[in-house]
Amino acid sequence: MISRQSLIVARWEFLRFFKWKQQLVSYLLMLAVIAAIALWSFFTDESQQQYRIAVPAELQITNTEQFQFQRPGIALETQLMQMQSDDSWHAVISLQDGQLVVHTLTGKKWLQQLDEVLQKHYRHLAAQQMGLNTTQLAALEQPVEIETRYLDQSYKGKDTPEKIIAIGALILLFVGLSTAFGQVLVSITGEKQQRVTEQLYAIVTPQQWMDGKVLGHSFSALKAMLTSALVMLLSFAVVSVFTKKAVDLSWLDISVVLWLIPFALLGVVLCASFMGAIAASIDDPNNSGKSAVMMITWLPMVFTFIVIDSPAGIGMTILSFVPLTSFAAMPVKMAMVTVPWWQPLLSLLLLLATVYWMRRVAGRVFLRGMQMYGKEPSWGDIVR
Amino acid sequence: MQLIVTAINKAYSSVQAVKNASFHINSGEIFALLGPNGAGKSSIIRMLVGMTKPDSGSIMISYQDQHYDHVPRRLLGYLPEDRGLYPDKSIEKNLLYLAQLHGLSKSKALSEMDYWLDVFELTQRRHDELKQLSKGNQQKVQLIAAVLHQPALVILDEPFSGLDPINQEKVVLFLQQLKAKGMTVILSAHQMAMVEKLADHMLLMAQGQVVLAGTLQQIQQQSQNQRQMKVGFSSEVNAAQLEQLAAVVTVQQLQARHYLLTLAEQASVSDCLKQLLQYGELTQVEMQSADLHQLYLAAMARHKPEAAA
Repeated sequence: MISRQSLIVARWEFLRFFKWKQQLVSYLLMLAVIAAIALWSFFTDESQQQYRIAVPAELQITNTEQFQFQRPGIALETQLMQMQSDDSWHAVISLQDGQLVVHTLTGKKWLQQLDEVLQKHYRHLAAQQMGLNTTQLAALEQPVEIETRYLDQSYKGKDTPEKIIAIGALILLFVGLSTAFGQVLVSITGEKQQRVTEQLYAIVTPQQWMDGKVLGHSFSALKAMLTSALVMLLSFAVVSVFTKKAVDLSWLDISVVLWLIPFALLGVVLCASFMGAIAASIDDPNNSGKSAVMMITWLPMVFTFIVIDSPAGIGMTILSFVPLTSFAAMPVKMAMVTVPWWQPLLSLLLLLATVYWMRRVAGRVFLRGMQMYGKEPSWGDIVR
Repeated sequence: MQLIVTAINKAYSSVQAVKNASFHINSGEIFALLGPNGAGKSSIIRMLVGMTKPDSGSIMISYQDQHYDHVPRRLLGYLPEDRGLYPDKSIEKNLLYLAQLHGLSKSKALSEMDYWLDVFELTQRRHDELKQLSKGNQQKVQLIAAVLHQPALVILDEPFSGLDPINQEKVVLFLQQLKAKGMTVILSAHQMAMVEKLADHMLLMAQGQVVLAGTLQQIQQQSQNQRQMKVGFSSEVNAAQLEQLAAVVTVQQLQARHYLLTLAEQASVSDCLKQLLQYGELTQVEMQSADLHQLYLAAMARHKPEAAA
């Protein structure tokens, strides 16, 4: 179905935009930035530091690893002056009319942890006054465990790792289609402006040319998705290392990932064909409003995201079968609910048929544009 | 290969680009399409290439007992009027890409490329990006791209445009080489002196219509009634006044007080001389046969009033 000429065009297009040195440098920079952020968070982690807190003599609060409560026995004003002039205290606590007041220089994240320690201390005091023992107090503080049981056996649960995969898939599709969007527009309109198209028309058919373009830019989009996925995983690993947690990828559902590949491939080809058709009808991208229409290809991800919390709902079901949205919706649905095997297969076949039709449309639009040289075909011309 | 075009017409919106044009081209010959801008040359070329179809009439290309209504891509080498390549890529990458699209293997493409780069003295610059080359050198690369795959038919739309006289001569040699290799060449041009050296057959067009067709000799014979007369006056004469004479079609000033006149078909030499004597004493009268440039100008001049009417 794909001719040798189309493959040559595809290779040319892929390599035209594949600047591996720049890409490698940008990914290394991205990793370095993530590592730097992780390192910064690690070394500036306030929970790892100790804080000296001045408290009134009557406040019999126990020290923790993070907070050292000291009773200086000097006037509050002197304590506050010391806090401002040197680093004697990180915070000064006073009791004013039965109200606990925390004085500090500026807002910090550890103040929230101090608040929790103080809350816990006062809960203990209240429990003692009520005559409760430690066990009773612990029982009171123990949160109630509530388990939700879903009658729909196929639903894998909300806010689970499956949802991470689903959102990850949408992000990757967005990355891929954004890549294709820019490249298809630049490649096709650029070639027209560089006046290469008429030369190419004498060598390859409009369909071979368009197939090659679509394929080349689809590969670029898939490469962008793959490298983005790898960068995401590497970032996850880097953050895990710095937070001293084991790298755990058990949440990654390989079967969903395997299904994602053909859907992503066909989805990207479908969108690249649509973008190719629009770009082929543009003579001058600076003076044509048609390029904005290419952004329609982002809508499937937007619609899928809207219904992501009802993966078994009617909205997601429709989106997962309509070929213009199924490439985004079906993998997301599969990540979140168990679907019968025939559903993704049917969805994939419908998508395949639409891809075939769309690439034919793109080829015809290019031919129409060539026949109307010097004049941009109108929407009416494109439809005809 | 034989190419027969019969009574083709092509209109774009309200503009009739080609009107009832007919001609034929034999294998191995150089065929020139001549005419001013908007004459319909590129429209004919685009129909031959198959980019557009004639509204009426027919195009038949016969090659090895097969017949086509436009030149099949595998037989075609094409230099479009609207031309360009990838400016950020080297000469070699540009040519290799196009050659491989034509079906050539990499080794065959490279050997053909070596040959033609040598012909155009571009071997040393093969790794230069196209944007680093002069317009003339870019044009040479385009010409190489059109013939690298040794097509049976080469169509070159304005191959001399943008070239200096030295490079124009190189293109003449290039076209002669193509003919020697057995390729059929169709070219469109304004440069009559170049075409005169090269073309076996030619077609002169104006406003979509064929105004003269044939070999140079045939065209000269067709135009034999349009004799040319070199005249000299003893005093200054206004060329515009001479152009108004009924016996004169075109006037070209050669030097001070000396003019080359193309005579109207029906005018006799004696009539013309009588009319010229109104403007002063004649110091020179010499009849001569017209070259292509003069025939072209005369044909265009004859055609203009018709179009205006």
